[in-house]
Amino acid sequence: MASELTNLLERRLLIVTGKGGVGKTSVATALARLAAGRGLDTVIVEVTDPPAVPALLGAGAVETQREPRELAPHLFWLRIDPLDALSEYLELQLPVAGVVRRVVRNSGFRRLLEAAPGWRELITLGKLWYLESRVDAERPRWDLLIVDAPATGHGLSFLSVPTVVTDTVHLGPLRRHTEWVQQLLRDPARTLVLPVTLPEELPVKETLELRERVRGLGLRVGPLIANGVEPAPGIDEPERVLEALAALPDDAAAPLPPVRELREVLDHSVRRAALQRHFLAQLREDHGEPAFELPLLPEGGDTERLAEALERALEGPP
Amino acid sequence: MSASDWLERRVLVTVGTGGVGKTTVSAAIALEAARRGKRALVLTIDPAQRLADALGLPHLGHDAQEIPADRLRTAGTAPGGSLAAMMLDTKRTFDELVARYAPDEAAIERIHANPIYQNLTDALAGSREYSAMERLHQLAAAGDYDLIVLDTPPAAHALDFLEAPRRLTGFLDSQILKLLFAPARALGRTGFRLFQFGSSAVLPLVERITGMEFLHVVSEFLLAFESMLEGFTTRAREIEALLRSPECGFVLVAGPDPVQARRAQEFWARLETESIHLAGLVANRVRVWPDGGPPPPLDEATRAAGTASLAKALSEHDPDLDSAGVARAVAEAALRFAAAARRDESVVGGLVASLPLDTSDARVIPLFAEDVHALDALSRMGKHVFDE
Repeated sequence: MASELTNLLERRLLIVTGKGGVGKTSVATALARLAAGRGLDTVIVEVTDPPAVPALLGAGAVETQREPRELAPHLFWLRIDPLDALSEYLELQLPVAGVVRRVVRNSGFRRLLEAAPGWRELITLGKLWYLESRVDAERPRWDLLIVDAPATGHGLSFLSVPTVVTDTVHLGPLRRHTEWVQQLLRDPARTLVLPVTLPEELPVKETLELRERVRGLGLRVGPLIANGVEPAPGIDEPERVLEALAALPDDAAAPLPPVRELREVLDHSVRRAALQRHFLAQLREDHGEPAFELPLLPEGGDTERLAEALERALEGPP
Repeated sequence: MSASDWLERRVLVTVGTGGVGKTTVSAAIALEAARRGKRALVLTIDPAQRLADALGLPHLGHDAQEIPADRLRTAGTAPGGSLAAMMLDTKRTFDELVARYAPDEAAIERIHANPIYQNLTDALAGSREYSAMERLHQLAAAGDYDLIVLDTPPAAHALDFLEAPRRLTGFLDSQILKLLFAPARALGRTGFRLFQFGSSAVLPLVERITGMEFLHVVSEFLLAFESMLEGFTTRAREIEALLRSPECGFVLVAGPDPVQARRAQEFWARLETESIHLAGLVANRVRVWPDGGPPPPLDEATRAAGTASLAKALSEHDPDLDSAGVARAVAEAALRFAAAARRDESVVGGLVASLPLDTSDARVIPLFAEDVHALDALSRMGKHVFDE
């Protein structure tokens, strides 16, 4: 049976999402590293400003541009700026020199855009569709697009805007183009949503809700990724050990810190690990599909080590 | 200054990126105010069932709910102190706004029937932020509370919620709508001239892409809001004035992760340009060495020597214990935690140094080993923030 990693890398569009602070950007970047490491021309796409991915890849400040930029072999980065993507789209639709620029620069049009709902999400998805459909020498120009999607609340409006449009608009290019986007998003052979979570109560709960709502929009949800799993101290009977430590004189572990402090740290670690196991179990039980664990790394943002951990997790049993 | 002074303000707005525990910190602050005899309210944005459970409420809703007095007494609340909680309901807040500012029933019906309005919560950029501000304003004006703690929506941008009223009204206020719609409305054909401003006839171009139907829906939506322009504009100015007044303080909530700390700095850098009063910083979920002392510097030699002496002591105390293995695990856990605590200390220290704050206004809440899901855990958090 093909590993989960192979399964993921056969898609064209992976949408990494989850509650804020769960490490979405790091996980998306780690996944992109893995894909690129296997020779796939991979684009990691950011939709928020300021961009965070170039720093995670060890690149300096990189300017936003329309074309993905290669930051490492096979590893490309793109930040989609909605206004620029809108200009690009309008230029493709209205190939009359100067007209689009005049429209986009018009201050009234700008103010309209500031207040207008949904277009940022729609144009961003449109650009993803456009990238996915690019062909070079009769094969796709980009093997894999990995999107670091906005945090949950916004993340969902990001995915639901096409439905609002197709419910509202029944004719014309906008309708047609939105349908193309919708087809890409709803094709499980091409698109998967990957929720990232932490093994804690709120993130787990929110992830399970997110999964339901994403499914409701007709998108396929892939494996869940639980990030930041803390190692359990390798002790079989923590209660007994804590009791023993309580009975020892405070200097029994010298030159290590006082036993009282060691005991408190051990107690904390044991209880944290138990708490996390509890929510991981809940996640697996409710999800009924694989959930992969990534360890809490000493240095947040070390995407190279995270990529190694991700590879081990996705190649192994869930 | 000290954290206790925060509670003297009428409004505290907690801000920060997602996932740092803003909601719980907000509730802990409000609870502490109640314990000190104030009438406090926490207004949360997330559907926080766990918070409702912790407060002993069946669920949080659009209307304020008082936490039962007997529960508050067990948390040591001073006489006169009370705590209420409510959850933001964007749609209902907007419905109320529409009802208040729309000129007539027909206008209300028109806007309720509009597909964009129906998808408002998801679709309209800044609608959550706007309604949070609106609700805050209503509550502050009513004067039923000594302190209101507003838990803002997690935002990628600090200014998302500050700018939301301005964005909405800036557009409505721009006179553009009047210019756009006046002629069309006179003809009873709303929207047909929507994009026909200046000398450039943009409409045919945009229409070619979106179709007339969509333009019609959009212009209807904007037109409906135009009828409420005056109310919205006045309200937005009042909200801005409230947020910038000394009665209102912002509390930055951050986690000890370097990425989160950097985001918190960026957050403040943007808020600072908006003449906002920063009341303080709460660094949440920080790994702190027992007793709050500095994490010991533990090297390999210390580990080896300490592990050996601990193993010996353990085997003497409990001969059946795998004392060598246990000692190794204990030392390992200590080293790991000390390294993490040192890292958190340096990240939080760097963050505090970068903010225009007295160190007494930068407070640390340790990472708890259990979830905060009861009033006593909230009050424990509050003690870390407010006890000198």
